[in-house]
Amino acid sequence: MFGFEAIIAHDGLGISVIGISVVFVSLILLAFAVSQIHKIIALWDKRHRFKKPRQKKDQKAAPVQDPTVPQDIQRASRQFKLLIEWIGEPFPLPKLLYLSEKCGLYRPHSTINELLKCELIIPDGNGYYVWNKEAEEKRSST
Amino acid sequence: MSTDIQTLKSLDLFADLNFGELEQIAPLMHLMKVAEGEVLTRKGEPARTFFIILSGNFMLSFKKERSFTLHNKGNIIGWSTVVTPFRYTGTAVALTDGLVLSMPGQEFLRLIQSDSALGDKIMRKINKIVSERMPYVTGTWRD
Repeated sequence: MFGFEAIIAHDGLGISVIGISVVFVSLILLAFAVSQIHKIIALWDKRHRFKKPRQKKDQKAAPVQDPTVPQDIQRASRQFKLLIEWIGEPFPLPKLLYLSEKCGLYRPHSTINELLKCELIIPDGNGYYVWNKEAEEKRSST
Repeated sequence: MSTDIQTLKSLDLFADLNFGELEQIAPLMHLMKVAEGEVLTRKGEPARTFFIILSGNFMLSFKKERSFTLHNKGNIIGWSTVVTPFRYTGTAVALTDGLVLSMPGQEFLRLIQSDSALGDKIMRKINKIVSERMPYVTGTWRD
């Protein structure tokens, strides 16, 4: 027995149909899985949203001051004022940033930004900056 | 991820553009997170990317350490991408975490050169900004 007869006799057609079905079903499942990857990635990107409430609970349980936030602008201003006195006025802002990094002051970039926002450091109009004594006095009196 | 039209329309640089023009720009702009202390541009390097600030605070420094800071949405960094000799005139550092829109300089330049109406509207705004910032670059202020 050869050829088509042998195939029919050994249920070859049925087996090939099953084989084809398995392959195509697998391909469909694979395609579906690939099409859903973006949802998994989106969930991964938003993972911090799920983490936040837990962090808040932890903070309530043990209130720890975040040293990264320049809450004590007074202390930061003292440190930066010393550096500015050392540089001399008017001073270049990049130099203050460089020195504060060298001295190991905590988060010098955002602290300088805070000092700018508080107007403790103000531009002199020529590309350099000066220490605002009036603002400092105002702050210390309040 | 490209930017939506509404975000672009809210920016001063693109405020005069119509919907069709904004549609041309949107696919070129990409949202980018910037971390505190990150350097966006370096003085003297080829100007390859143009940035528009969405949030955050930035310091731009120039020759002889002259500098100014940018704190507002819509402020731009990297106008040298569309002005010869296409080299950054200053160094831009993020003072805080922030979000910026970035655009490849060559594509921005190509867009400006290929559409004269659009190019004129954008270049008018950029020229104004350049003239405001030029004293920091050259160190000469007019009284």
